[in-house]
Amino acid sequence: MDYNVSALIEYFPYFIPAAWKTIEVTALGILLGMVLGLLTAFSRLSKNPLFNVPARLYIFVIRGTPLLLQLMFLYFGLRSILNLEALTTAVIALGIHNGAYIAEIFRGAIQSIAVGQMEAARSLGMTYRKAMIRIILPQAFKRAIPPLGNQFIIALKDSSLASAITIKELLLKSQQLASSNYYMMEMLTIAAIFYLFYTSIFTWLVHKIEEKLAVSGSR
Amino acid sequence: MIKVRKLEKWFGKLHVLKGIDLDVNPSEVVVIIGASGSGKSTLLRCINFLEKFQKGTVEIDGKVIDKNNEKMKNAMRTHVGMVFQHFNLFPHMTVLQNVIEGPSQVKKISKAKAVEIGKYYLEKVGLSDKEVAYPSMLSGGQKQRVAIARALGMEPSVMLFDEPTSALDPELVGEVLSVMKDLASEGMTMVVVTHEMGFAREVADRVIYMDDGLIVEEGTPEEIFNNPKVERTQEFLSQIL
Ligand SMILES: Nc1ncnc2c1ncn2[C@@H]1O[C@H](COP(=O)(O)OP(=O)(O)O)[C@@H](O)[C@H]1O
Ligand SMILES: [Mg+2]
Repeated sequence: MDYNVSALIEYFPYFIPAAWKTIEVTALGILLGMVLGLLTAFSRLSKNPLFNVPARLYIFVIRGTPLLLQLMFLYFGLRSILNLEALTTAVIALGIHNGAYIAEIFRGAIQSIAVGQMEAARSLGMTYRKAMIRIILPQAFKRAIPPLGNQFIIALKDSSLASAITIKELLLKSQQLASSNYYMMEMLTIAAIFYLFYTSIFTWLVHKIEEKLAVSGSR
Repeated sequence: MIKVRKLEKWFGKLHVLKGIDLDVNPSEVVVIIGASGSGKSTLLRCINFLEKFQKGTVEIDGKVIDKNNEKMKNAMRTHVGMVFQHFNLFPHMTVLQNVIEGPSQVKKISKAKAVEIGKYYLEKVGLSDKEVAYPSMLSGGQKQRVAIARALGMEPSVMLFDEPTSALDPELVGEVLSVMKDLASEGMTMVVVTHEMGFAREVADRVIYMDDGLIVEEGTPEEIFNNPKVERTQEFLSQIL
């Protein structure tokens, strides 16, 4: 098999817009996922079935079906009904998908904060809400950072599935270029380099944040 | 100050408190002793409604607390300080922040005033030099003293202590007990669950012996430790003394 190293350099610039597209889909998807995740985590923790039953159902459905299916489901369903752009559809799908996982991350983190913390806060006369905001959540967020970082990296890689619904992100770009220049392996390599670049930066960033938080009083 | 009447509590099918009547008068120090599992912690936790109970009433500062009234319970808790066996300090806050959290967030006292109060009580427990430390950097004895300062920061009218020294290494027990003695001598109303019989003898106005969800006997330290009338009290004391 021939492998044309110079094609790597030649075609690299063509990937720049796609590289931005990947970031765009991922970042917006994660943002939506965080909002949905937080809301769902609280609904899931609520004792009221009106909240926790829909939350459970949402998590059950999303975690039990493939992302590719969810993407297509929204693309062929929601998009045509609401007349959405493909990009919007991809962001919504990624957001909904990640929301379910992020909800479980937050729920786990909140539950991992010992009940003693809640009791100490309540014994000072704090309302449940205030105790949540002032005492439980700051600790839970800190505990959620490593698994959240993990989930964000998964989300970044998962954004490649948006290629299936016509989003010109890195993977689709590599396929389109390869179909005209026939450098399939080379184009995939370029896409891979971008992904590795993103994931390295992100891993480093999460690490820094963890380090910083560890300083201000660990346990 | 505290009036508990016919308090009964079940955990599922387990009858944990079987009709408790308890009065605590202003400036009184009441020490509760009894075997593990006899319901001492549960009783303390029912007094400030951290635990739900099924029957009976709790009256604090002349008000019968309505268990369905969150506002009333929150207001009551600002007058009732609680110190836990495992400290339960807020690990993401410095020592001073731990102490001013209640005054500033619950009582809505200005930041400057809250800091003043915080510093005052940290000095009282001998930890002025630890204001900016995080709880993770403290010894168990220091943690418990911060927890006491945190409760005092609310300027409560009564303090509940649930085995405040049980989680401490023996050499750290003294510093916590000494802070509690000072409090008692200043006239703080206190309900203390403890196994420290020396403290009970020395500081308690009244000692209560609990067994199996009931108050079996109560009296002055003299009466309980020297002339216990009930056989079960005698047995318990002979085991621990
Ligand atoms: N959250 C709980 N759920 C079920 N049972 C409990 C709970 N807390 C305490 N108990 C039970 O209630 C009884 C009294 O416990 P507790 O008040 O902690 O006793 P003490 O403080 O005197 O050791 C024990 O039998 C204990 O196992
Ligand atoms: Mg106990």
